[in-house]
Amino acid sequence: MNHVENLSPQGRSLLNRRSFLGTAGLSAAGLGLASVLSHDGLLAEEKRTVGGKTPIRPKIDPKQPYADRAPHFESTAKQVLVIYLPGAVSHVDTFDYKPELFKLDGKKPPGLPSVTFEGPAGNIAKPFWEFKPRGETGKRTSELLPHLARQVDDFCFVHSLSTETSAHPQGENFMNTGFTMEGFPSFGSWVTYALGTESQELPAFVAINDPRGLARSGKNNFGNGFLPAAFQGTDFNAKNPPNNLSRPSTLNRGADRRTVDLLQRLNEQHLERYPQDADLAGRIASYELAGRMQTSVPAVMDLTRETQQTLKEYGVETGSSLKQEYAKNCILARRLIEQGVRVVQLFNGSDPSGGNGITNWDSHANILKTHAMQAEIMDQPTAALIADMRKRGLLDHTLVVWATEFGRMPFLQANGTGRDHNPNAFTCFLTGAGVKAGTSYGESDEFGFKAAVNPVSVYDFNATLLNLMGLDHERLTYYHNGLERRLTNVHGKVIQDVLL
Amino acid sequence: MRSVFLFHIVAVACLMWGQPLPLVGQQVDFEREVAPLLEDRCCYCHGEEDQESNLRLDHRLGMLKGGDSGLAAVVPGKPEKSYLIEVVRHLDPGMEMPLDDEPLTEAEIVLLERWIRQGAIWPGQMDAVEQGETELWSFRPVQRPKVPENRTIHSHPVDAFLAEKLSETKLEFSVPADARTQLRRLSIVLTGLPPTPETTKEFIEKSAENSELAYSEMVETLLASPQFGERWAQHWLDVIRWAETNGSEANLYRKNAWIYRDYVIRSFNEDKPYDQFVREQIAGDTTGVGEALGFLVAGPHVPSATIGREPTAIRQARADRLNEVMQTIGASVMGVTVGCARCHNHKFDPITIRDYYAMTAAFEDIEFGSRHPEYSSDHPLQQRGSELVAELEARRDELKRFGGWEENWGAYRELHFRPIETQGVRIRFKAPSIFIDELEIFGPDEPQVNLALAKHGTKLTGYPEKGFETRNPVTRVNDGQYGTMVWRAKTEKDEEKPWVQFDLSDSKTISRLRISNNREYFYETDYLERKPNLPRYEFDLQILKSDGTWQPWVGTWAVNKKLAEQFPERQETLNEIQSLIGQLAEEGPRPSFVGRLVAPGDTYVLLRGSPENPRDKVAPAGPVMLGGKLDLPEDSTGPQRRLAIAQWLGNVEHPLTARVMVNRIWHHVFGQGLVSTTSDFGNAGALPTHPALLDWLAAEFMQPTEIQGQPWSTKSMLRLLVHSRAFRQSSQPNERGNRLDADSKWLWRFPPKRVEAEVIRDSILQASGNLDLRVGGRSYRIHNVKKTYAQWELVDNHGPETWRRMIYQERMRRVDDGMFTAFDFPDCGQVRAKRPVSTTPLQALNLMNSDFVMEQSRLIAERAQRESEGKSEQALARCFELLLGRKPTPREQESCSTLLRDGELNLICRAIINSNEFAFLP
Repeated sequence: MNHVENLSPQGRSLLNRRSFLGTAGLSAAGLGLASVLSHDGLLAEEKRTVGGKTPIRPKIDPKQPYADRAPHFESTAKQVLVIYLPGAVSHVDTFDYKPELFKLDGKKPPGLPSVTFEGPAGNIAKPFWEFKPRGETGKRTSELLPHLARQVDDFCFVHSLSTETSAHPQGENFMNTGFTMEGFPSFGSWVTYALGTESQELPAFVAINDPRGLARSGKNNFGNGFLPAAFQGTDFNAKNPPNNLSRPSTLNRGADRRTVDLLQRLNEQHLERYPQDADLAGRIASYELAGRMQTSVPAVMDLTRETQQTLKEYGVETGSSLKQEYAKNCILARRLIEQGVRVVQLFNGSDPSGGNGITNWDSHANILKTHAMQAEIMDQPTAALIADMRKRGLLDHTLVVWATEFGRMPFLQANGTGRDHNPNAFTCFLTGAGVKAGTSYGESDEFGFKAAVNPVSVYDFNATLLNLMGLDHERLTYYHNGLERRLTNVHGKVIQDVLL
Repeated sequence: MRSVFLFHIVAVACLMWGQPLPLVGQQVDFEREVAPLLEDRCCYCHGEEDQESNLRLDHRLGMLKGGDSGLAAVVPGKPEKSYLIEVVRHLDPGMEMPLDDEPLTEAEIVLLERWIRQGAIWPGQMDAVEQGETELWSFRPVQRPKVPENRTIHSHPVDAFLAEKLSETKLEFSVPADARTQLRRLSIVLTGLPPTPETTKEFIEKSAENSELAYSEMVETLLASPQFGERWAQHWLDVIRWAETNGSEANLYRKNAWIYRDYVIRSFNEDKPYDQFVREQIAGDTTGVGEALGFLVAGPHVPSATIGREPTAIRQARADRLNEVMQTIGASVMGVTVGCARCHNHKFDPITIRDYYAMTAAFEDIEFGSRHPEYSSDHPLQQRGSELVAELEARRDELKRFGGWEENWGAYRELHFRPIETQGVRIRFKAPSIFIDELEIFGPDEPQVNLALAKHGTKLTGYPEKGFETRNPVTRVNDGQYGTMVWRAKTEKDEEKPWVQFDLSDSKTISRLRISNNREYFYETDYLERKPNLPRYEFDLQILKSDGTWQPWVGTWAVNKKLAEQFPERQETLNEIQSLIGQLAEEGPRPSFVGRLVAPGDTYVLLRGSPENPRDKVAPAGPVMLGGKLDLPEDSTGPQRRLAIAQWLGNVEHPLTARVMVNRIWHHVFGQGLVSTTSDFGNAGALPTHPALLDWLAAEFMQPTEIQGQPWSTKSMLRLLVHSRAFRQSSQPNERGNRLDADSKWLWRFPPKRVEAEVIRDSILQASGNLDLRVGGRSYRIHNVKKTYAQWELVDNHGPETWRRMIYQERMRRVDDGMFTAFDFPDCGQVRAKRPVSTTPLQALNLMNSDFVMEQSRLIAERAQRESEGKSEQALARCFELLLGRKPTPREQESCSTLLRDGELNLICRAIINSNEFAFLP
């Protein structure tokens, strides 16, 4: 079906003639599918929202649900890359320098809990890696992530994040969908619902999953929840194309094309009986996009034209095989952004069953070894990806988010060698378009146990991300089952200090 | 409680200062002392101008009512219960009042306390009472309106109502659709399957003779077909987000949860009155349809392993689970977003936080888990079970003459042996390592009574008594508890082997021994790589003779090995027994994930939804504004509570139950409900497009006058709707209609729409002649057997094992089925009152390139060829008939000619499957 785009002249003119939005004098919102696509409760449009603000409903053309749409307000970031690190990265061993921990190593100061997620708590453990000042800002970060450390001057760290759960799946849900429960639309689906995409050749929202499999919340991290399925993340990575992308192996190109041609003619004849039906036209358009994806996706996945230098920088040929795979995913991420894909979500970890002994950042035991294994996979390719995007000018209009679901405890688990989950404090960073580089926002307490200065909730964080994309988190809503739902529920304040 | 305590401290402090306690007896002068204080410090935010948190402190009623928190600001006579005092004393973190201002002085607070203690006297306002009525239309009683006068033209009452609105908007009904279209639409709406070519042909012929009769007969045929229940069950399952896995990280399979799905199908097929349907799903355990409670646990839950060990997290998780129950009931039966009142009074609707917790009180005995459902003797599962057990008993009788035998029941093994009367039983194991959660002994007289149970007075001894690491005592084998609490015995090589001894309270005849090591896990989940293993422990059983000596009576070696050698003819019967046990586990009653019942605890209003902040204790009830008071005794049991609330919901006085259901039926018939927000009849939802029609239908549903049939009959309601002109009219657009009402909400035409995932899949299978129409039973599997914490992986979504109706596809939360998730098939995480209909390129890719479509295209083509004796023109026509219910037009024939000539009929089928006509309800 490579040739769907070659819609027959007759079909083309049919579609053009019924470019309903123009000639028939109907607004998009007046057409059948539009009401379903854009908004379930047009009838409820005048209703109050919890925040009291009026929703801004994206004007979705049913023929082109992915058409580029204007943001709520001007923004430099047009695209977004979310690098998500499932399992909870230890902030006190990476970016959140806590000198107190060196002093208190092996001690148990009062005020810290006796039981945490997995059970009894042990004594304070100093960071497992040395911290050094970096760059011009002199920001201290650890030796665990030496490649990322070189770019700290470009990053904006948020050190005072806290979350509402100490369980991974709920934590992933919360970071990625704004709710600990399942079934809510993901950040990426909200953004593509609002903005569509610049690329009409590729999916608007791509989830690049870890070579080891999906993260613990699975599809929920990039699902559409109750938004229309059109806005779900399309799941593929450097190794595996999307489901059913290619022509079946039993079919030669000619046979495939003949089916597509016939399909077009059947649909044209049917459309004559239902003139002015946007649903039908929209479905024809979706086949065209599918056809284009059959060439555009393999093309974007094809890394053979990347230079040796690039492959080397990303680490495609060195280190563990998992790192090599992840490095390829990083290159794919850059290529997708280059092609104008609106949202790319790149995962660095899976649920606990995949991989070779280490599957994500969840280091309950032997953190020295397990975090190092995970860092080996993540550090160089991720750093190369960000640097490469900067070099190519992509960060001028792309926001990059590096995020995990919570932090880890400053103390060990009782009689243990690992750190338990810490929902009270953790660190994420932003870089790229719209972000104030070389800053650190907020602080955790002296132990890194609890957010202390300028605390940031996940709602605030997500509100800020939407703001960076030119979207008002209080007005980007979708009516579902009684409420104008938002990514940020009824909370969230934009962190002004991280904005340029 | 804390505030009471502090109140006393203040009182004591005053005494110590040598002042007389400030005039407790002396009447506070409201006008002179309290009013200025309120005015000065409170009413700026909680007065006439502003009502922060919807709280007003400028009149007494507002104080009694409180704000969004749901707590009364003032409880006359009880300062310790008055939230006002709590916030001005800064006892509730995050709610310190006055906000961003100096706190009240101690004297001012004490004054307020005294005033409240004295009855919060507010001269002139003491008689003000809360208006017990609401403006919300859907909370008002259903009033049967008159059918509009235009019935001379529109003989059908529904049309009469619709025509009235159409004429107001200067629109009119379209012409009737042709017979073929009417049939296709009717068949898909009622059964989810298009008509076969044969049915179509017959119907068109009959219609030519007498179209009304042909149509009515077809309606009856379709309503009576078993596929009807499958279609309508699907709609119900969507709303309650029912699935066969837990969701969350491990996303474990819920074993035998599908019996609830079968219950729903059966209920629709039997046209169970809707009030009864609701009642059974809430309290079916009291009426012998225990599996219906699967409704209450339809939502997702997080299993304890992923909740963690923090007590606060454990309490929060329980509150979350109860909230899932609330959401299910709110969305499906009530059409109210009750969940919105979990943390504060509902922002839009007259539901208070107290209402919310009063409702949860009715469900305190529900937990997510498995149990043996309660079945009446005429329940189909029970009946089938009895048949199978009778067969099983017959086989056992055959075996008895040879001596004992062993049966494997999956969850446990059962050793059968010659009956013997004894007062003591000793079991000596031959292996050094043993795990046992329960060991049961039965006799022939009362086959269900476990004689070994400690609570029946049986004394237990054993070795090693305290078990492994002294933490796994032997007492666990007869404590009546299944699960991970086991007797774990581990003995060294040269040590004595493990044994247990039961001293019965008196002499009993015994004939059977049952042994298991984690029955609970076996009952709750399935399809895991690491299942609870059921090892075959070798042991001997001895009985205590009257002379006090022990006599070997039976043993595993004796019944398995020795008897097998002696009587090889036994084997066939043993195999039959095993096969009957397998059948019983599929077809009879069995433990199932349809909810577990626990002792109901007390219920408290949780301030801001936090289990760490329990306030007033509440009794089970429905929302006050819906007349939800239940007259239950103080110590009512869980089932009593649920039955009471179910009866309240199914009462004809209830304003929502009937309205919500007829609207849901309407939605699935016409594509859009009269209330478009089908699960929200509140202020944030849409108003009905045809309020009178909605009420007339609701009244008719509960107390039929116009339509034939029993009250609350879904089939009668459907029969009514599909006979309307509105339903039978053409879906062709016209310029006027498009201009005035592009959504077709006034029904000037029948609104076409893309059919659901299930209809697409089932129709394709029907066309190839491969749709297995077996009703009910275990879901067909498309996923792997996985590790506990792994994600499900798709294994096969297209092979012959999957050629059943899609409602029988295992329904997994948040797992992509690789095919139909792209077609808005729900992920079952959140309530899905109605499915969005979206269009994505992934749908196109799946429908063009999947193995399923490629295979089925070939099978349809082969069938068409087979049924047209090798004549290619006929085969082409047959493909169109099988998929679209019509012959190709000359233009279509021409379009297909090249492919047909090249023998690529399968590609023609592939194209038709992808065509708009195939995907749309005409």
